[in-house]
Amino acid sequence: MATNTQEQQTQAGRHQEVGHKSLLQSDALYQYILETSVYPREPEPMKELRELTAKHPWNLMTTSADEGQFLNMLLKLINAKNTMEIGVYTGYSLLATALALPDDGKILAMDINRENYELGLPVIQKAGVAHKIEFKEGPALPVLDKLVEDEKNHGSYDFIFVDADKDNYINYHKRLIDLVKVGGLIGYDNTLWNGSVVAPPDAPLRKYVRYYRDFVLELNKALAADPRIEICMLPVGDGITLCRRIK
Amino acid sequence: MAPTQAEQQTQASRHQEVGHKSLLQSDKLYQYILETSVYPREPEAMKELRELTAKHPWNLMTTSADEGQFLNMLLKLINAKNTMEIGVYTGYSLLATALALPEDGKILAMDINRENYELGLPVIQKAGVAHKIDFKEGPALPVLDQMIEAGTYHGTFDFIFVDADKDNYINYHKRLIELVKVGGVIGYDNTLWNGSVVAPPDAPLRKYVLYYRDFVLELNKALAADPRIEICQLPVGDGITLCRRIK
Repeated sequence: MATNTQEQQTQAGRHQEVGHKSLLQSDALYQYILETSVYPREPEPMKELRELTAKHPWNLMTTSADEGQFLNMLLKLINAKNTMEIGVYTGYSLLATALALPDDGKILAMDINRENYELGLPVIQKAGVAHKIEFKEGPALPVLDKLVEDEKNHGSYDFIFVDADKDNYINYHKRLIDLVKVGGLIGYDNTLWNGSVVAPPDAPLRKYVRYYRDFVLELNKALAADPRIEICMLPVGDGITLCRRIK
Repeated sequence: MAPTQAEQQTQASRHQEVGHKSLLQSDKLYQYILETSVYPREPEAMKELRELTAKHPWNLMTTSADEGQFLNMLLKLINAKNTMEIGVYTGYSLLATALALPEDGKILAMDINRENYELGLPVIQKAGVAHKIDFKEGPALPVLDQMIEAGTYHGTFDFIFVDADKDNYINYHKRLIELVKVGGVIGYDNTLWNGSVVAPPDAPLRKYVLYYRDFVLELNKALAADPRIEICQLPVGDGITLCRRIK
């Protein structure tokens, strides 16, 4: 699978970006946060998984280290025990989650790509937390529909993290709002979409950024208008919108 | 006591800055977050207090609306009941806190300036939550020392928010680490200090920014090295470092 020069250059740009992609006023400020408060506290398995992932061609998809740290703390603060994750990639946020849950904690993790998950799985196993994870390969919507069908599953999740195909977030939300418990939390990742939510119409955007931007804009409007949740849009990583179910 | 021309210009630029001060890559992105997810959800009382405060000459001291929303959600997520706030100003974060706590929730609020607190108090009273607040005028350290001496306050606070004199944060921390419960949270505000934590040595900084910067840098190092807490430095507002006590 020989790559031509252009692909190589794109890959070089992507490798530079990993660890340097933020919504902050400067990369210097972002690196300050990482060097001062994140990396020195990063658990060894998370560091290993992050470095492993950085070598992968799709590494831009990964959850950033500051976001992983935030998720880990959040889960401990809310005493989460039963969680779900839609969109796994190599498992960085999954590992951050698994490390935060108690020993009998459970995570239902879904991704259309098992291969990437299996890249990170040895690290998760070595960390001693793989037993908490139930991985399902394939699209999430059919799984969610099945869960919603059974009333017993309604309100059974403490925390649900969505970091997947942006054109389906709204569809996920219709199901997740019933599956998360009242008082529980859904987190939607990438809701500031590289800052492109405010880019002028003629801005030079990557194709996939431009394609999904409308979905992200619509999602943000929909979440803000949803009376069943209280929201908070945090500029961590690429933007996480926390949705606390209130009814 | 008419303001000089220089003072008037400073005040004018301060009034322009309130509501536009963030650590994000552009003010546009910050306004997007505020317009999409914060202002439409802001409780009426908080809006009233925010607008009142915007007219005050020291308005840059206020907690921003996105930060208020985040604190409010965080407190609900951790089921906080007994909290403390050091640094009140006109009470925006205090109101965000009071609205989040249950009816029998309690907040010990301290500030060296009662006048500013009394500016906002009518709004807090109208919101029906003033009964949760115990306001003490004066420096916080003597109060904290008294509480430590008494011995009965150790580990009794669910959440403590520090938004005050940066040269004393380290001193506050020595006491607060005993007063917050294990599993509880201390939040230190302004830990990214206007982004100045990474400003080059010759950068033109406001005098007070330059003066306190060293204290902020030292605090950040100290918190990162403190084994009794887990930390998370969020780029919300001017930077909040959440410290979860683990032992």
